[in-house]
Amino acid sequence: MRKYFTVFAIDWQNQFIYRLNFILWRFRNVLRVLMTYYLWISIFSSQTSVFGYTKEQMIAYLLLALFISSLVTSSPSNDNVGGEVSNGTLNNFLVKPIGYLRYWFTRDLSSKLINIIFAVGEISLLYIIFRPSLYVSPNLISLLLLVSAVIIYFLLGKLAISIVFWAPENTWGFMFTILVLMEMFTGLIFPLDLLPHWAFSTLQFTPFPYLIYFPLASIIGKPVDLRILLQSFVWMGILYYLLKKVWAKGLKTYSASGI
Amino acid sequence: MAVIEVKNLKKYYKVHQKEPGLSGSIKSLFHRKYYDVKAVDNVSFEIGEGELVGFIGPNGAGKTTTLKVLSGLLYPTSGFVTALGYTPWDRKPAYQKQFSLVMGQKNQLWWDLPAIESFILNKEIYEVPDAQYKKTLDGLVELLDVKDILKVQVRKLSLGQRMKMELIASLIHSPKILFLDEPTIGLDVVMQKKMRDFIKSYNKKYNATIILTSHYMDDVKELCQRVVIIDKGKLIFDGALDEIIKKYADHKLITVVFGDEVKSQQLAKFGQIKEFEYPKAVISVKRSEAPKIAARILEDFTVEDVNIEEPQIEDIIREVFTGKDFA
Repeated sequence: MRKYFTVFAIDWQNQFIYRLNFILWRFRNVLRVLMTYYLWISIFSSQTSVFGYTKEQMIAYLLLALFISSLVTSSPSNDNVGGEVSNGTLNNFLVKPIGYLRYWFTRDLSSKLINIIFAVGEISLLYIIFRPSLYVSPNLISLLLLVSAVIIYFLLGKLAISIVFWAPENTWGFMFTILVLMEMFTGLIFPLDLLPHWAFSTLQFTPFPYLIYFPLASIIGKPVDLRILLQSFVWMGILYYLLKKVWAKGLKTYSASGI
Repeated sequence: MAVIEVKNLKKYYKVHQKEPGLSGSIKSLFHRKYYDVKAVDNVSFEIGEGELVGFIGPNGAGKTTTLKVLSGLLYPTSGFVTALGYTPWDRKPAYQKQFSLVMGQKNQLWWDLPAIESFILNKEIYEVPDAQYKKTLDGLVELLDVKDILKVQVRKLSLGQRMKMELIASLIHSPKILFLDEPTIGLDVVMQKKMRDFIKSYNKKYNATIILTSHYMDDVKELCQRVVIIDKGKLIFDGALDEIIKKYADHKLITVVFGDEVKSQQLAKFGQIKEFEYPKAVISVKRSEAPKIAARILEDFTVEDVNIEEPQIEDIIREVFTGKDFA
């Protein structure tokens, strides 16, 4: 366990090297919120409520979405694992007594922490500017949903990346597709309950809404019950099992071909 | 007792063959032709504790593949391998804590941080106690003379400095077995020498078992009492360096500096002329006849200098690899 704390600490230091990069990445996040904000403002200029959301609720939703996506989707492992497998850096880890995926999960956590700190600052700033009426009522379910979301996101990303073991050249496009799908269906851009009922209930059978929408809905006091939490855990379990199987198979292929 | 035991190790790769050009690419989407590459083909050897063994062979001979199997990175196609009583590809932490694989062209250091941070991380990964870590690190820093650059960002170090740091990072857990893949690659002559001195003293000081692969014969000549030659996946020689000479070189080289004009035809009867540029000639002769021939040359010509030598080990090995027959 201690080794992973050290990984966390060293990654934390490493992040400060890329200050400019980081600031630009945060800037992109704020920009995205502003864009969606003005989009919704213009929608609300002709009506006072859209699918049951008032203007204030919508703004509150988007601000929180920014915060939660900082927590859930900041995941440098998604950008690095594929490359490390295809160029053989993975070898450095396979000869050492350390778990490669755990190592990257730890680095992701380190990145999440720094992102949350910044997100709190940004949200405070946006809050001061727009003064939305934020109503939040987080409970234990929200917290567990968040933890589950972080883990599901990690597992999903690594599962997509695993294709690198069989097609070292093709990961990027695959990863990109998955990420775009995620953005659409996680609830980052709009609250998913705006969708027609059939679409919304279909989405529940995918892992995506458990990443942002459900934790967020639970925080802003929408009725999110234990059934949703259970489904989130089920997804976590399924993905964990799948990743374990696929990764072991991938490593076997990797070790057979040797990079 | 053998620390490493390898019996009938085989490692075949399936490689797909692509025809050139775009049409070849499209064809390869639907139908791929595979063929086997025999990277390691039925190799057996044993290595005892504290031995320093050199693996030599041309590119693609199977040296690195063998090291990768021994470090658990590759599953063999068939054969039996054990190191310190473990099967390498089980990747048991208990085994991993006792060896280190250093590849000259790969790096494990955190590029943007000072090397010392990577050392600390390795200390934790290998669960080295604080006191032992301090002692080992101090020893290595002293031995490699890198005290001043421990806190410099790795990206700002020169290649030689970085290689030293890589070595330290690989040795923090005081491994009993060291696999060094091209440890001197890309280094200048002075650094190569330093690296060799270091490997030698590490071997002596810790009684560490070391296997190294190298393209530089100097590495092997200076470091290894025992040499394993691999070519096209097959082990073709395993023994002391001088035995290579005995086994493969049944000839000696006579170098003569003449005082008077001599024609190459006059020399051809003594043996094979390797080099002739008046006044110097190098003639390869049968080992047993060397003294006799030298005497005859001295008798027949005006000679300023004569020298009988063993052929260069590089030459012997090169000729072994190019398949030249010595018998």
